Amino acid sequence: MFFVLSLTHQVTLHPSYFGRNMHELVTGKLLKDVEGTCTGRYFIITIMDTVDISEGRILPGSGLAEFTVHYRAVVWRPFKGETVDAIVTSVNAVGFFADAGPLPLFVSSHLIPTDIKFDPNATPPQFTNNEDSVIEVGTHVRVKLIGTRAEVGGMYAIASIREDYLGSPANELPDVYKADHEQLD
Amino acid sequence: MGASQGEHLSLNFSQLFDNKTMASPSEDVSPPDSPASDGSGTMPSPGRVDGSPAIARRQSEDRLDAGNDDEDEDPEEEGEETAPREDDDDEEDEEDDDEEEITASVLTFTGSSKKAPRERRNQFLDVEAEVDEDEDENEDDEDELNELKDNFIADTHPDDLADLPVGGETDDRRHRELDRRREMEASLDAEKQAEILRQRYSKIRTGRALGDSAVVPKRLLLPSVDDPSIWAVRCKEGKEREAVFAIMKRIEERMGTKEELAITSAFERGGTHSTMKGFIYVEAQRQADIMVALTDLMNVYPRTKMMLVEIKEMPDLLRVTKTPALEPGAYVRLKRPPKYAGDLAQVIDVTDTGLELRVRFVPRLDYGLHEDVNAPTDAFGAKRKRPVAGPRPPQRLFSEVEARKRHSKLLGGGTAGAKSWNYAGDEYVNGYCEKEVKLQTLIVKDVNPTLEEVTRFASGAEDGTENLDLNALAASLKASTANASYLPGDIIEVYEDEQKGVIGKAISVQADIVTMAVSEGDLKGQTIEVPVKGLRKRFRNGDHVKVIGGSRFRDEVGMVVKISEDRVTLLSDHGNTEITVFSKDLREASDSGGSGSLGKFELWDLVQLDPSTVACIVKVDRESLVVLDQNNQTRTVMPSQISNKLEKRRHAVATDRNGNEIRLDETVKENGGEARSGKIIHIHRAYLFLRNPSQNENAGVFVTRTTAVSSVAAKGAVTASTGPDLTSMNPAMKRNPATGGDMAPPKSFGRDRSIGQTVTIRKGPYKGLLGIVKEATDSNARVELHTKNKTVNVSKDDLAFKDKLTGQEFNPNSRGGFGGGRGGATPRGRGGLGSATPGGWDGGRTPGAAGGVERTPAWGARTPAVANGGRTPAWKSSGDNAGGRTPGWADGSRTVNPYDGSRTSYGGGNRTPAWSSGAKTPAYGVSDGFAAGSKTPGYGGGGNDTWGSKTPAYQQPASNDNWGSNQQQSNNGWGANSYDAPTPGVNMSAPTPAAMNAPTPGAYSAPTPAPYNAPTPAAAPTPAPGWGGGGGGGWGAPTPQAMDAPTPGAQQGYYAAPTPGAYGAMPETPAANWQDDNQPRYTDN
Repeated sequence: MFFVLSLTHQVTLHPSYFGRNMHELVTGKLLKDVEGTCTGRYFIITIMDTVDISEGRILPGSGLAEFTVHYRAVVWRPFKGETVDAIVTSVNAVGFFADAGPLPLFVSSHLIPTDIKFDPNATPPQFTNNEDSVIEVGTHVRVKLIGTRAEVGGMYAIASIREDYLGSPANELPDVYKADHEQLD
Repeated sequence: MGASQGEHLSLNFSQLFDNKTMASPSEDVSPPDSPASDGSGTMPSPGRVDGSPAIARRQSEDRLDAGNDDEDEDPEEEGEETAPREDDDDEEDEEDDDEEEITASVLTFTGSSKKAPRERRNQFLDVEAEVDEDEDENEDDEDELNELKDNFIADTHPDDLADLPVGGETDDRRHRELDRRREMEASLDAEKQAEILRQRYSKIRTGRALGDSAVVPKRLLLPSVDDPSIWAVRCKEGKEREAVFAIMKRIEERMGTKEELAITSAFERGGTHSTMKGFIYVEAQRQADIMVALTDLMNVYPRTKMMLVEIKEMPDLLRVTKTPALEPGAYVRLKRPPKYAGDLAQVIDVTDTGLELRVRFVPRLDYGLHEDVNAPTDAFGAKRKRPVAGPRPPQRLFSEVEARKRHSKLLGGGTAGAKSWNYAGDEYVNGYCEKEVKLQTLIVKDVNPTLEEVTRFASGAEDGTENLDLNALAASLKASTANASYLPGDIIEVYEDEQKGVIGKAISVQADIVTMAVSEGDLKGQTIEVPVKGLRKRFRNGDHVKVIGGSRFRDEVGMVVKISEDRVTLLSDHGNTEITVFSKDLREASDSGGSGSLGKFELWDLVQLDPSTVACIVKVDRESLVVLDQNNQTRTVMPSQISNKLEKRRHAVATDRNGNEIRLDETVKENGGEARSGKIIHIHRAYLFLRNPSQNENAGVFVTRTTAVSSVAAKGAVTASTGPDLTSMNPAMKRNPATGGDMAPPKSFGRDRSIGQTVTIRKGPYKGLLGIVKEATDSNARVELHTKNKTVNVSKDDLAFKDKLTGQEFNPNSRGGFGGGRGGATPRGRGGLGSATPGGWDGGRTPGAAGGVERTPAWGARTPAVANGGRTPAWKSSGDNAGGRTPGWADGSRTVNPYDGSRTSYGGGNRTPAWSSGAKTPAYGVSDGFAAGSKTPGYGGGGNDTWGSKTPAYQQPASNDNWGSNQQQSNNGWGANSYDAPTPGVNMSAPTPAAMNAPTPGAYSAPTPAPYNAPTPAAAPTPAPGWGGGGGGGWGAPTPQAMDAPTPGAQQGYYAAPTPGAYGAMPETPAANWQDDNQPRYTDN
């Protein structure tokens, strides 16, 4: 789920940067430092604006200046039970890996509907029910997160497609809906 | 009296009869009159006294009546209260015993004081009163007493009725009366009856010793000295139960005969698993009774010493321990025969008695391999058995082929289809040995089969899959570790018994009772206590759990992906493997995950297995490691097998197949093969260990050669990412911009210094030949060879310049600084030698040094590096690009900047004489050509203040005096980054102790001081050491200093300012030091 959060960050600046455009530099450095990182609980997707940049404080001993920056950022926190779209990155017999944006996730074969089976002979290897559903590298899938785990500098999730409306696109819309769409067309 | 006696007797018997016919239930029976009363010892059993029950009765009645005949009245009640005698009731429970005790005391009392005062008798009336619950009449106490006595007499075995006088049994008047009264009572309605009862008991409610309630404090039920004693009697082990049954049979047989057994009870303890096996317990008043009862019984040895059980131990004897029921499929361990002791066996079948089992186990056979051929044979030709010496054979399934080799005689009964064989007296089915064993030869508790053992029993199905009976395993395991694994806070679920389905959180655990707060269902909000055995932990998909307990996967951490009953499948965090364990072996994990380390080894470490093999750890188990070695082979090793751990070399660089640099953490892709890509986690020689997180096997690690990969990152991406471009912001640079970007390579002016030099040719067809340079261009030289009169054109790069006199190799283009450069490699000791020789001075005369003076390459070279970073400045650049890649370079060319803390500015610090040179070349580089650093003091003395205050930009040119040295180290680096200039280090460097050390020959060699010190302390002599540096031996002295002094500063990088080397020396002018002559201080550096 996406949130807008007010956050703070400490930016240090080398003395050689001291000058008129210091605030730009601080902001620039903030973007560089923070955007796209993961705190362990959420990903900082983008920084909207900086609310406040404190006065710089020279750190004794190094000469670096430290600024406390308050900023607003859009963050994404994956929740247990959240449904996300992901792109499959690798497929093997025990399941498949996919990326939901910055979040790598794994869908175990236990969490794949029983009719969708691993086919090692296909190239590339895929999960398929021999009908409309094929999951191979690059497939877009809709999955439901059933567990997340924080790692240093990132997160990791286990997801399931063993429910209605989950899985590869063909599975996304049940026949009823398809019919509806056809009628609309 | 006699008549009345007779009537009494008959009455009593009629009552007895009456009771029997009416099938009066035992609850009607009052405790004092209970069957125990005649076992109480006051009265011997009639049958035993003189063989005639009747006489015995009479006698006793006489005795009692003698004292009580006047109080003897109203026999009716007696009839009510008399209980049937049950001689054969051997199985009295404790309550009976207790009552018996009371009765006994009552009787004793009545016997001794028959005319007791009323009040005292009243006490007994309580006892009585509670007995005749059904009675409504208010009796005189005296009567009650009489009644009691009569009861004793009346207690007659039905068989004794035969001895009654005629008419005694037929007189049913009393019976009819009794019937009538009962009927009347029954017709009264309950309220009335209650009223009557209340009236009767209200006044005697107080002062009761024992209530009539059903609940009697347990301690009062415990046996006392007055109870029959219990003796432990030896019997044959394993035959305990049989013995007890035999006793029972004997009791039945002799019931009612003269030899009736006088024992109260007999029992055995806990069967085969008890520690008390080999004993049965018999309860009786006298030991002699037991002897009588047990003589000539099978398997019981009453003649051996009987043990009297202490009273306080009696209750323990009757404590019930539940014996675990063995079911087919369960696992047990064998105790016998010794060959199989401790081996796991599986129960196939259990006999009805539960005492014999059919088990199967993996045989340990050697098929006669170790048989002693020469063993003596007995009369029948059979070899005498000898105890098996040495290790027992390993567990292996039975092999018919093996058996036929030596023991075809012993083999039989085999049918190919059934896979069943007889071999050496044992039966083998499907390779397992099947055997009937007694329960006592098995260990059934705490079996704790390991998964490894159990897999031996996993019968492979046709399709090759192993079907392990996890349920049986669970049952075997559950008993052993049932209670240890619950902790407060665990989410648990009841799956058995009444509370089945209740889910909640454990609050506390005491022994095997768990208090849980119910969180779901009808009982929500309540706290209930449940026994551990019906509990299991509850997890949900996605829970992050850790394996605990005895499982093979202990300490694995992962996420739950599947739950079926109490089996949980989880996906391990490391290595993406799926594990199935019992939920009892799991616990919710903290988010931090497992350690992933074993001792000092962690996942993804690079380790040295043997001198030629390195490997990357791909899996860390509890006791072992799985490693992937450089040959792409996985093996399991113990930590002890690893010779050492290779620390990660952060700066390791390799080249890919395109010749591009690749470093740690870069992403590379295989060319050809499977075109795998991964991030470099280790570079070891020509091998790369890469990791691709989406790869499953080996924790995503694979190994490849550097030549097989190509870098995916754009060239130079790494340097670009080190931080924002500082160039654009440095005010110093803005003031004095390096116009035109790269500086042109420095030109050498005037006569080429190489002309006239003696050289050897290092490469090409003339390699190794000596000659003299006759002519030279920037890149080439014409060399006149000594060997034959010929002049050849050789690239200057291929020349090695030799000193004409010493043959020492030098670089004609270097100024003194070259000495500095060399110094890095020069041991101190050499300096000592060198300084003692005049060679130092010779060195001073070398063209190189001289040339350096005039040439000021410092100026020329200025900033070639600014943009040209990687290149060696100036002339070198012409032909020798390689220089650009020397490590020194690479290191030097980086600035340390706060955004990239991992690098040091002078990374190659140790190796950079540049520093020292820089130190002493204050700007005037010109004059300081010899740069050996040693002379600086002179200068410094003159102007160190000035220098110190120099703007970085200005100083920069001065700093690159290291030029000449082939190991162009950091000074080039300098150039590479104009921002280094402002570092305090530079400013400080002028006065570095190094400079001051220079004039301290004392430190290096004894003889020198005099000559050095003799000259003016001022600048004049100072160059001397520097010259020495140019020359060879002599330069040794200053060099180390040059080296040593700056190093600390250099190593500490950009912010090294506070190092003693630099700052410490700062306040004192070098000149002063020079004059002070207190060198030892500096040598400390």
